Amino acid sequence: MDRQEAIEFLLDHYQNPRNHGQLDQADVTMPGGNPGCGDIVTIYLKVDDAGDHIDHVTFEGAGCTISQAAASILTEMVEGKPLSEVDDMDFNDMIDQLGREVVSTRPRCATLALGTLKAAITQYRTDKLRAELE
Amino acid sequence: MAEYAHPEVLVDTAWVADHLNDPNVRIVESNEDILLYDQGHIPGAIKIDWVSDLNDPVVRDYLDREHFNKLLSAKGIGNDTTVVFYGDKNNWWATYALWVFKLFGHKDARIMNGGRAKWIAEGRDLTKEVPSYPPANYQAPERDDKTIRAFRDQVREHINKSGVALVDVRSPQEYSGERTHMPEYPQEGTLRGGHIPTAVSIPWAQAVKEDSTFKGREDLEALYGGKGVTPNKDVIAYCRIGERSSHTWFVLTYLLGFPQVRNYDGSWTEWGNAVGVPIEKTYQG
Repeated sequence: MDRQEAIEFLLDHYQNPRNHGQLDQADVTMPGGNPGCGDIVTIYLKVDDAGDHIDHVTFEGAGCTISQAAASILTEMVEGKPLSEVDDMDFNDMIDQLGREVVSTRPRCATLALGTLKAAITQYRTDKLRAELE
Repeated sequence: MAEYAHPEVLVDTAWVADHLNDPNVRIVESNEDILLYDQGHIPGAIKIDWVSDLNDPVVRDYLDREHFNKLLSAKGIGNDTTVVFYGDKNNWWATYALWVFKLFGHKDARIMNGGRAKWIAEGRDLTKEVPSYPPANYQAPERDDKTIRAFRDQVREHINKSGVALVDVRSPQEYSGERTHMPEYPQEGTLRGGHIPTAVSIPWAQAVKEDSTFKGREDLEALYGGKGVTPNKDVIAYCRIGERSSHTWFVLTYLLGFPQVRNYDGSWTEWGNAVGVPIEKTYQG
């Protein structure tokens, strides 16, 4: 993907976000954001009945083009994936997916949604463990 | 309404529209959102990005004289060019770029009042065409890090002096210490929350109106004077990395005419990570 293709890819997701909106059956609702620049993403996470795969993820948010496009792209990347696979995803996975040349100077924007999804998964596991202990 | 102290540093959108083809004027878009320029910009405007263009890629510092000369020459900006900055988020990054230009003493740098949002709200033309200009031969002096820039040790001395003011322009949540960084990414935030002792909290965006233009002089004097930030004081402003505080530096320096204002660009990402520096935290959570 060259620079122009990466820009078009990001703009498409920004202007036509996938999996956008609240998810009524979400197991976890996790807000994330950067107090500095005002990018906000809320992740809605639904895990499958077995408790180890993502059933569905949606998001809502506001902010710069990259932060919102990245959230949309991430929801497509992780649909149906094992939670452990998200655990292993890092900065470079997102940057490569989004187009390194375009987003590498905005790492916080590019990884806001991933960080928030990871936090949601952590919360899911904590809630599940607590429920099992009760 | 009283006129700003240096009204010549502000131009309105109509002025820009009248100077789109003026060879002595270069319109420069600087945004937080790196993809806005690609979605459409003022015809003839070039882009300067605060990360890739104005920062040293390795050391936490701004570009040096040699690279500044190279950057401006490549953009077709000469020493006598009138540079008009505009951008997103109330000209937040536009004032940051202007501040860096002033570190190198660029003579005629201005801000388009209201920024990108006002230009668009007025239905003015945007283009996706990226212009090119004949290269110039810019010759900057060495970067002046003393007049409008403050460093950590200077701030440590500053907080023990009288007749000075320190302005924290971050959000109230950052000032109180309630927030430092986003979840899961502590390495991009700070280890401690709170503010530098003696700092008063005046969030930067309080200096602008809903249409993104700057508030009038009386309102600004009331805003800052009400917190003890007055022109007879040596003033330092800070935020997280020095970008929001460049906006306040611009307001105090050019709109209110304060004679001595510096921007502490190390800001909270330096202070909140430094060992042994004093911190005040008001958030009880």
